[in-house]
Amino acid sequence: MLLEYAIVAGLLFGVFYAYLALGLNLIFGVLRIVNLAHGDLVMLGSYLAFELYYAWHWSPLLAIVVAVVPCILVGGALYLGVAPRLARAQDPEMMSLVLFFGISQVIEAIAAFGFTSNERSVSANALGSHPVGILGQAYPVTWVVVAAASVPVLLILFAYLGRTRLGRATRAVMASPDEAAAVGINVRMVSALTFGVGVALAVGAGSLAVFMLGGVTPTEGVSITILSFAVIVVGGLGNPLGTVVGGLVLGLAFQLTLTFLPNWASLVPYVLLLAVVLTRPTGVLSRARRLA
Amino acid sequence: MNRYLVATAGLSLLGLSVTACGASPSSSSTAPRAITVGTLYSGSGAFATSSQPQLAGLKFWISQENSKGGVYVGAYHKRIHVKLVTYNDQSSATTAATLYTQLITQNKVNVLVSDFGSVLTAPAVTIAQEHHQLLFDPTGTGTVFFTPGNKYIVLTALPTSGIWPAPLVQFLLAQHISKVAILYDSNDFDASQAATVDSGLKAGGVTPVYYQAVPSATASYGTLIQSIKATNPGAVLEFGYPPNDIAFLQALRSSGVHFPMVFTAFPGQLHQLLESNVGQAGLSYTYSYGFPPQLAYNTVNEGLGTSAFVQAFAPTDPASVNFLDIAGYQTGLVIQAALRHASSLSQLALRNAVASVSGSLNTIDGSFKIDSQGGQVGELLPVSQLFPSGSTTKIQMVYPPASATHSAVYPAP
Repeated sequence: MLLEYAIVAGLLFGVFYAYLALGLNLIFGVLRIVNLAHGDLVMLGSYLAFELYYAWHWSPLLAIVVAVVPCILVGGALYLGVAPRLARAQDPEMMSLVLFFGISQVIEAIAAFGFTSNERSVSANALGSHPVGILGQAYPVTWVVVAAASVPVLLILFAYLGRTRLGRATRAVMASPDEAAAVGINVRMVSALTFGVGVALAVGAGSLAVFMLGGVTPTEGVSITILSFAVIVVGGLGNPLGTVVGGLVLGLAFQLTLTFLPNWASLVPYVLLLAVVLTRPTGVLSRARRLA
Repeated sequence: MNRYLVATAGLSLLGLSVTACGASPSSSSTAPRAITVGTLYSGSGAFATSSQPQLAGLKFWISQENSKGGVYVGAYHKRIHVKLVTYNDQSSATTAATLYTQLITQNKVNVLVSDFGSVLTAPAVTIAQEHHQLLFDPTGTGTVFFTPGNKYIVLTALPTSGIWPAPLVQFLLAQHISKVAILYDSNDFDASQAATVDSGLKAGGVTPVYYQAVPSATASYGTLIQSIKATNPGAVLEFGYPPNDIAFLQALRSSGVHFPMVFTAFPGQLHQLLESNVGQAGLSYTYSYGFPPQLAYNTVNEGLGTSAFVQAFAPTDPASVNFLDIAGYQTGLVIQAALRHASSLSQLALRNAVASVSGSLNTIDGSFKIDSQGGQVGELLPVSQLFPSGSTTKIQMVYPPASATHSAVYPAP
């Protein structure tokens, strides 16, 4: 009974974790940089959902849609503003880490200033008032709605990558920026757009994270970035499909540990991360099976 | 040569006179220009919501005393201005350790006050002991801090966490609840409460059906609630910090699981914060500890009573006053009493002065009484229950009968 519950809960959380980490992996896949501000963008999405619900009386899920265009524009502009400077640096990858760490700290400080340090959470009633029955057991409606909202986002992104011209260009840049440029793809614009999409994915996931991570505070960004990083390492760095696998593995492992060894639950992401790095550094889905 | 001898003799005499002045603390000529109080606060992070009201309460005490010309220092028979030095530890125990050391060695504070809670007090305990600096500890209640060999700590605003649940244990036994589930965070503060309940219940013939620690960073409680539900408990006690309590109560509400009794620690301390996050429906009929200002102490012999404090502290929004505001103010009152009674500003003199007022100080926080190890034993925390009241909840004391303002509703509807 408890095992079944943990497995279903793990799958629901796993789908959410995949959405949570997808933006980070997309940006890494195309730009080869780790966006250390990823968790802070998720945190901003949570505050957006909070404000939409309490100030505007809209569904917090609308944050996923509302965030898309502004995030793509802001993210793209940010990339175009900083990429040339990073390219000129002696060690662009290290500089990008420093840059995004700085951005992370700035976002955290502004959020603390704007929203105070108090915990904020959105009422579970915002997504429904009754638990949902699955395989004879009742699950919080928030888990089910969050997973249900994550699936279409993942499908749309994979359809974009697999079926559209721009998506195929993105995959080409992921595979080899030089070869992509050689065949006439505007690598700079594709990178800017991808960065914007990554930001939009992070902010959109934030609107769901406020339900799954027990609320939102300005300082939660670092822990979300670490969690997301564990997901993409487990699934495969730079591999969007691997993110889904990584999310499911982490979700299942986390919920099973919470059920049977609760005191060890916080170690799960790190243990999995270490295990994958030591035994299969390319992640569960290796490059040969990459979608992108 | 003669000039040299005269100069040497003069300097020696000057030195003797300075030494003599130093040996006579009652002389106002040697009184410090200010009493420096040093403390840390969390401007961000997990403890910010608790740390900041505690600091606000301490600042309020300082402003009250400075408005009278300063705090009265018995060793100098005069009032001396109070100066506050604060640093932001960002809820990090590592950062706090560095900053506590800085307060002692660089700022050379007269009075050291620790930040909120056991996690951020833990580094201060050993640092203060090493530097022979008395630590005024408002809310770090972990029992491990209070040991026979350490004279340099005084718990000011709460009993040690091992004592907190004593009335709760009695309540559970009085209600004949035989199946109790205990979920606690693995830190000193929560673990000592859980251990007290566990041993108290076992002494009363009740063995908890669920007794489980989880990491303090736990934010997902849905699966844990299912594990607890499987034991069919008559009462569920969750010991955590405010973010844990919020996440737990949120998860409980959205899971649709109903327990006859749910106890969490912080609705009694941070009622407004918990209610804004969990809502009336999530808090109604749950239990917590009873704290001032809901637990009123208006007959006092040091500082302001509950009603006067609330009126002075937040005249435009009395409902916003929480226990941690009072904890900060209470710490100021204990410092005030120590400074009044101490024979000098030495740390041991302050410690002895605190011991001398123990048992005779009645404040906004109840009866201040410490044991030989500096642990607070005077302020017992009754069991409270939150009842729906309009669109909000109201905290009522339900146990022990001497403190009760309402009858407990068990099982919860």
